[in-house]
Amino acid sequence: MIKFASPLRALIPVLVVLLLLALVPLMSPSNRFLSLAISAGINIIALYGLSVLFGQTGILSMGHAALVGVGAYTAALLARDFDIGFWGSIPVAGVMAAIVAAVIGIPSLRVSGHHFVIMTFAFGQLLTIILTNGGEYTGAATGLDMQQPVTMFGIALDPLERFYLLVIAFVTISAVASWAIINSSYGRTLRAIRENEKLAAALGINVGRHKIGAFIVSGVFAGVSGVLLAYFLRHISPGQFASFPSIYLALMVMIGGARLLLGPLAGGILVSFLPEVLNLDPVQSRILYGVCLIAVILFLPNGLIAGIADGWAWLVKVSKRAQASGDAREATR
Amino acid sequence: MDILLQQILNGLSIASVITLIAVGVTLIFGLTGIINFAHGEFLMVGSIVTWLAVSNGLPFPVALILGVLAVALMGFVLERAIFRFTLERPTNGFIVSLGLIVVLQHIVILFWNANQKSIPRPLTTVWEVGGVRIASVRVMVILMTIAVVAMTYVMITRSRYGRALRASVEDRDTAALMGIPVRRYITGVFVLGSALAGLGGGLLIALFPITPFTGGTMVMKGFAVALIGGLGNLTGAVAAGLILGIVEGFSAGYGFSEWTDAYSFGLMILVLLFRPHGLFGGTSGPKMA
Repeated sequence: MIKFASPLRALIPVLVVLLLLALVPLMSPSNRFLSLAISAGINIIALYGLSVLFGQTGILSMGHAALVGVGAYTAALLARDFDIGFWGSIPVAGVMAAIVAAVIGIPSLRVSGHHFVIMTFAFGQLLTIILTNGGEYTGAATGLDMQQPVTMFGIALDPLERFYLLVIAFVTISAVASWAIINSSYGRTLRAIRENEKLAAALGINVGRHKIGAFIVSGVFAGVSGVLLAYFLRHISPGQFASFPSIYLALMVMIGGARLLLGPLAGGILVSFLPEVLNLDPVQSRILYGVCLIAVILFLPNGLIAGIADGWAWLVKVSKRAQASGDAREATR
Repeated sequence: MDILLQQILNGLSIASVITLIAVGVTLIFGLTGIINFAHGEFLMVGSIVTWLAVSNGLPFPVALILGVLAVALMGFVLERAIFRFTLERPTNGFIVSLGLIVVLQHIVILFWNANQKSIPRPLTTVWEVGGVRIASVRVMVILMTIAVVAMTYVMITRSRYGRALRASVEDRDTAALMGIPVRRYITGVFVLGSALAGLGGGLLIALFPITPFTGGTMVMKGFAVALIGGLGNLTGAVAAGLILGIVEGFSAGYGFSEWTDAYSFGLMILVLLFRPHGLFGGTSGPKMA
């Protein structure tokens, strides 16, 4: 495993990668590429929240897409009923998703361990059903349309290149936020819970409250990513927040690895672009996702990036040993 | 009154399929600790195999047996290849099973497209008793479920193997020291549960058309019933399956059909909150280290 001597060292590679990604529009990429990159970026924002929950606290939410959906529907309803635009929706959606996360989290933590995962899954499904049966208000199964433009200082951000930069900015903010949480005393508390719940409780840490707190924090990220999703797609429907998107998010966080700051970024990009690179149709790519998820869980439980790092460390060790034994042979000769 | 009886009968036949899944889930989850959400996809594969066999001219009983055998074999392979590596960390098993859902669904779509699939009803007789139309195919489903669940019950509670199995749930290490091949029992339970899912699938397609996505809602109902009844508690699973099936039958019959899928989730959440061990008490899963 990589040990971080200084917390800043963890942040710098992420910022460098994001800076490089922000330069992509200069190479005049195709619209298809940009759309893929934008949806990857929107997922990555939610992933940073999920990585705080899963990577630090060790509890996984399998209904996270539902929280993204809360954000997206908040944005759509605010725009329709109150004429509140993009910037107004961001804080409201964050708060709404946090409230829903609290509503799910407080009762769910009464049940322990793996039941919690089932609960999040069930709540996610329940929310989809509620949205589908919401009638006129939630637009039922067809969902809602969005018309409001996104502007900043009078500049329209709707063209794909600009929206891409906006998403990159939000990814940067969420990466920094998640880094700040991980390196705060709060993050240490969460890790203590992950490593040994009983010991943490014995040390006077309120385990339940911190778990709910982590879930709420991850909900805020999900809510914000939902707003971006709604304004990017311009149309949202319950199906987008059902069980498969939740599995998809979990797959991304699993593949990238939740404990490293680079993990969500890598997972989001890999999972979004892999089908495009391999030229797979949606059915095949979903099979590939499923197989990847199983393979990652079985072989690389810490995620791909950590797996590569471990593999590299092992290779270095082996080559050093080989060199050492070679040297020894030289010496005896 | 006629409508009421009719709905009870319809509810019972749906409840049968749900009970078959729930019994599988309650055995696998309650006795081995494997949280297999792909159990619904096992059922769907059972339906597909039955459909394939019937479409190729085989009689329904043969097709049903083929479906059960195919799913049992699939369960064996998956347990040996995947789930046994997740025994120590049930959450990993759960995530793996979510991956399996996606894989199985889309493999079926890849080969046999995503459209509805149905077979001609294996029994077409309909009895009319006092204004209530009793379709013999529904009666067949109910009777087969009763027979199979009763057999499973006797096996688990009365036989030597069942006793050994329950002992290994109670205390894996001691059971192993007593010479019980615990790992082999886990595989056995997984295969048994899979076979039940295959049977449920074969019976389901005799009642309704299915799609590759049928498994998703069915498994949630199965888990809901298993958790409501108490994990590992067969009687509880049967009772809860009956309750859910009849509630769903009623609500569909009286015009709340769009909410049917929500009941299982809602009920499950409530039971997990207030009676984490289920209404009838259960193992709440084997004791994890």
